[in-house]
Amino acid sequence: MSLARRLSAPLVWALLLAALMLLMPLFEEVFRLVAPDTRAVIYQRDSFVSLVASHLLVVGVASLCAIVLGMGAAILVTRSWGRDFLPLVSQLASIGQTFPPVAVLALAVPVLGFGSQPTIVALVLYGLLPIVRNTLVGIQGIAPGVMESARGMGMSGRQILWQVELPLARPVIVAGIRTSVTINIATAAIGSTIGARTLGDPIIAGIVNGNTAFILQGALLIALLALCIDSLFERLQ
Amino acid sequence: MSSVTGEHAAAQRPDLTPAPNPVLLVLIALAATALAGLPLISVQPNRIMPGEGLTLWAIGAAPALLVAVVLLAGLAWLAWRPTRRALRLALAAVWLLLALLPWALVALAAQQVDPAMSSARIGLGAGLWGGLFVLLLALLELINRLVLTPLQRWGLLLGLGLSLLLALTGGGLDSLALMREYHGRSAAFHAALRYHLVLVAAVVGISLLLAAVLALAMRRWSRLRRGTFSVLSVLQTIPSLALFGLLLAPLAYLAARFTWLGDLGVRGIGWAPALIALVAYSLLPMTRNAYVALDEVAADVTDAARGMGMSSAQVFWQVRLPLALPVMLEGIRITAVQAIGLAAVAALIGAGGLGTFIFQGLGQAAMDLVLLGALPIILIALLVDGMFSALAEQLRRIQGRGDTAHGG
Repeated sequence: MSLARRLSAPLVWALLLAALMLLMPLFEEVFRLVAPDTRAVIYQRDSFVSLVASHLLVVGVASLCAIVLGMGAAILVTRSWGRDFLPLVSQLASIGQTFPPVAVLALAVPVLGFGSQPTIVALVLYGLLPIVRNTLVGIQGIAPGVMESARGMGMSGRQILWQVELPLARPVIVAGIRTSVTINIATAAIGSTIGARTLGDPIIAGIVNGNTAFILQGALLIALLALCIDSLFERLQ
Repeated sequence: MSSVTGEHAAAQRPDLTPAPNPVLLVLIALAATALAGLPLISVQPNRIMPGEGLTLWAIGAAPALLVAVVLLAGLAWLAWRPTRRALRLALAAVWLLLALLPWALVALAAQQVDPAMSSARIGLGAGLWGGLFVLLLALLELINRLVLTPLQRWGLLLGLGLSLLLALTGGGLDSLALMREYHGRSAAFHAALRYHLVLVAAVVGISLLLAAVLALAMRRWSRLRRGTFSVLSVLQTIPSLALFGLLLAPLAYLAARFTWLGDLGVRGIGWAPALIALVAYSLLPMTRNAYVALDEVAADVTDAARGMGMSSAQVFWQVRLPLALPVMLEGIRITAVQAIGLAAVAALIGAGGLGTFIFQGLGQAAMDLVLLGALPIILIALLVDGMFSALAEQLRRIQGRGDTAHGG
């Protein structure tokens, strides 16, 4: 059953996304309906394919870093020798979540300048928090009896981590990664205001020029991308 | 309070000195590195010219240096033998360092900026931000270790806030680049702040009402539940910028079609799309919490209330709703914090608010203007988060006490 069935929803979104990004010019007449008075109806400054690729690259790099760093930090502070840092790290992760992503993005600029780089750094910083928190919750939620019997079977600390803790905590950790990636897809679009090349470009151009068609094109592609990735995670969980 | 301390001290046995606290030691090392190694401030002749970064050594204020070194060394010593008394002393030292920070800046500003040069300004450097961040972490760690009561925690924070406020209003920090930007547009800043708060309050109010209706409807017709939640979670996945953008066209069309809407101020750009999009985002956390809260009230409690002869309306208003309140408050907290951040994005579609300064500043490459927008947003988010958390905690405590009182 099921690989096909399991992949069907992400596949539908992905096909829609691919169709829209490749065939956007064919829909010129549709977009003319929402922006009848403008000369250029289809966003031309960049191809949509390259914008989607660039958006995915920014989100992908940032998410990968956030996963490695976030899970790493959470694993470190749940070992016996790192436990002193646990209360601080877990509190930091929950306080950090109240920081608005836009503010984090804006504050990265004075340090790193404009472009994709500060966007990626801000996305990593912000994306870390849900991953750290969920990895902690996942590992700490394992019943003490399970850990004891693993130890009683003579498993080493590394074996317990890889064969007991991470597999058992997986659903919660994946949920954290899902939240992180979803937020990052949305925040990366705002990265266009600090010079990153993302799907936010057409939206910003549309807002500045009062061209609703541009806005609609960017918005539709981002929404499809977000739904595609989110449904993929839903299947993974 | 003192009896608790006494118990702790007795439990720790004087002959057994506790192991060093590695967290504090690492934080102190980090704070020392940040404060000593990175530029603390930069002095700019005007808004455009880049500033020259000054490290602690370049400033060379010997007495201040000495105070900082003594306090940090003392902290390290206290962290090495963290008895409860040592931790209390460390808390006092960290608090003092934080409270003195604005006044150190006042002194620095007076020393570095010639009052005759009205356009010269001081930017805050990486060392100062880093040091501030690490010291706040140390404060958090100490508050954790000492298990302070909420009242004590709020007292400490209030003291720090007062110290900062006094330094800001005293005029000693007026040469700070951030304050120069503020004084240049103080009326606009206050208007934006008010607008931001009103927008967030409206969003929270409207989504609370809608969520209450939805939650009640879902309790009555359980088949509604699945559909409603899946629609709401799809809404939540759509990126904010995209949702704002998608609302522009239909609202512009409606306003053009029905002039009375346009007269109300509904347009493709402005508060209308911002309000609708923010409410759409708020509905999921709000509805989920309202539903779960009402649903989670234990059946035996409501049964008991009914057994006492309460009507179903009475059960709802006097038993179910009060017991559900803490979880509902949690939903309001999440929604409010989220709306505070997203309202900043709404500035891009002309909705105003504090986000305006962020995007203006980014457009003009004026980083202090960005700070003027971003810092208040972060502060408001933290404050709202803290207030609602404290309120929910307080409510739970009162209800818990009420239960035991009835039981006893």
